[in-house]
Amino acid sequence: MNRLRTIFLAPSAAFTVILFLIPLSIIVAYSFLTRGVYGGVVGPWTLENYQRLFDPLYGIILWRSLVMSTLATILCLVIAFPLALFIARASDRAKGIYLYLVILPFWTSFLVRTYAWMFLLRDTGFINTILTSLHIIREPLPLLYNETAVVVGLVYGYLPFAVLPLFSNLDRLDKNLLESAADLGATPWQTLYKVIIPLCAPGLRAAGVLVFIPCLGAYLTPDLLGGGKSIMIGNLIQNQFTTARDWPFGSAISLALMALVMVLLVSLLRQDGEEAL
Amino acid sequence: MENALALTALNKSFPSHKVVDGISLNVPKGCFYSLLGPSGCGKTTILRMIAGFAEPDSGEINLNGKRLNGLRPYERPVTTVFQSYALFPHLTAAENIAFGLERRGEKPAEIAPKVKRMLELVGLEHRADRVPANLSGGEKQRTALARALVVEPELLLLDEPLSALDPALRKRVRLELKQLQKQLGITFLFITHDQEEALSLSDQIAVMNKGKIEQIGTPQEIYLAPATRFVAGFLGAVNWVDGIGIRPESTRISRQKPAEPTKSTTAKVVTSTFLGDCFHIETTTENGTAITAQVAFNEEPFAPGESVHVYWHASDELPVRG
Repeated sequence: MNRLRTIFLAPSAAFTVILFLIPLSIIVAYSFLTRGVYGGVVGPWTLENYQRLFDPLYGIILWRSLVMSTLATILCLVIAFPLALFIARASDRAKGIYLYLVILPFWTSFLVRTYAWMFLLRDTGFINTILTSLHIIREPLPLLYNETAVVVGLVYGYLPFAVLPLFSNLDRLDKNLLESAADLGATPWQTLYKVIIPLCAPGLRAAGVLVFIPCLGAYLTPDLLGGGKSIMIGNLIQNQFTTARDWPFGSAISLALMALVMVLLVSLLRQDGEEAL
Repeated sequence: MENALALTALNKSFPSHKVVDGISLNVPKGCFYSLLGPSGCGKTTILRMIAGFAEPDSGEINLNGKRLNGLRPYERPVTTVFQSYALFPHLTAAENIAFGLERRGEKPAEIAPKVKRMLELVGLEHRADRVPANLSGGEKQRTALARALVVEPELLLLDEPLSALDPALRKRVRLELKQLQKQLGITFLFITHDQEEALSLSDQIAVMNKGKIEQIGTPQEIYLAPATRFVAGFLGAVNWVDGIGIRPESTRISRQKPAEPTKSTTAKVVTSTFLGDCFHIETTTENGTAITAQVAFNEEPFAPGESVHVYWHASDELPVRG
């Protein structure tokens, strides 16, 4: 029995060690070293990379990342909640179809889909062309290469991650509770605020975490839809490893981001635990 | 007596069949009224139509002179004790009870004393701050009852509220429920498939079968003078001898031919079952009719195979018509 367990767990253990623990250890080590002239890392050991994180220049990027990720998360939850409620209340057959539609975008690469958004939003893109030809606007609207475009892209990209946990929460909600709320005089809106949303807190938290974390680390969306003007932490890290050739600083930012995400996760998990008691 | 609830020619069909078929009944004010019938007889659908969770295809629902048809559930002066209780799991017992008062826009200062009084009434003062997951079955049931009663509904609907309790508790809660109803004077419409529950609680019973009412009457009337074979059989065991019904407790059995002027027949004992307070003696006559007699616990036991006389008084025959 024990041997069987060892054999079954070996592949995942090997995978984790080789592809996660070893690279992570390398990143940790790098973050305490000095950049080489042509990239790479050299001695001596130093804390300088972590001190640089407090430079206001990077603080602005971190702040922007947090604001945009928070905004994208809130928008995702606001859009996903009614959608998930609608799917949860559909017939069993329709449920399957709707869920299938929610995950349909995953069939295409994220990169291709982000390019599609560029075609939609750019000056000569779909939306501006239509609005111009209908004479609603004379000059194309600046839809692309700004923070709004980035948030739109993030919401689009991570919406399914919000819909799925909310759906699973709402689908398990006892229908009798909604009837009993109405029976006691609650209007549909009161039932929503007083019964459905409070009982959906775990789903809302899960959805929030699943959207917020990838948003915070996003680099493709801000790169393509932000046009390099409104960069986020993901872009900063990418720059350090590529153009800036500062691997130690790139490593330090990565670890700082990980630490931030972990603090957020732990505090949320603790809340879930308390509610379960 | 003045009527609280009046149902007139109520009909409701589901795609497969007609669940409620021309139901008309009147529930007097302050009455403990039961709808009794087997599952699938349409009693729950009637309750759902009164509460507003379903609309009748035709017919009228009037409560104290006000037409309820078409009103949303939250617009009806009716509350329900659900079979599953449907307590809000994120709220404490006290918060569950306060829910309906809050929805009516009452101020916290008015709500608190009402919730407190209701908790005392159902004996749950010490459980006020517990969430439903930490309440026992009986406590949940009382919370659900308190939550529905605190808003002083014109009619309380109870959907098999005792069926989730264990038998010993069920009998005690039954007594409490009856006392509470008399004390508050609120009209109760009680849905059940348990004839003992209906008989012991109700002022009036409507017995239902296949979407129709078979008989309406007091517990004594429907038990002692059932209008149909269905009612006779649903309310208790019946021996059918040549189309005449006699309850086992009215059926007597002896080794000698009975001297008094009674109806009698000879039979053979099949089984004799001791139930503590009595024996159930199953017999079969020469032409194969099964007759069960209930015999006092202290009588000399009858043995299987024994030839006996089974007899009864003509006055104990059930006056079944249909």
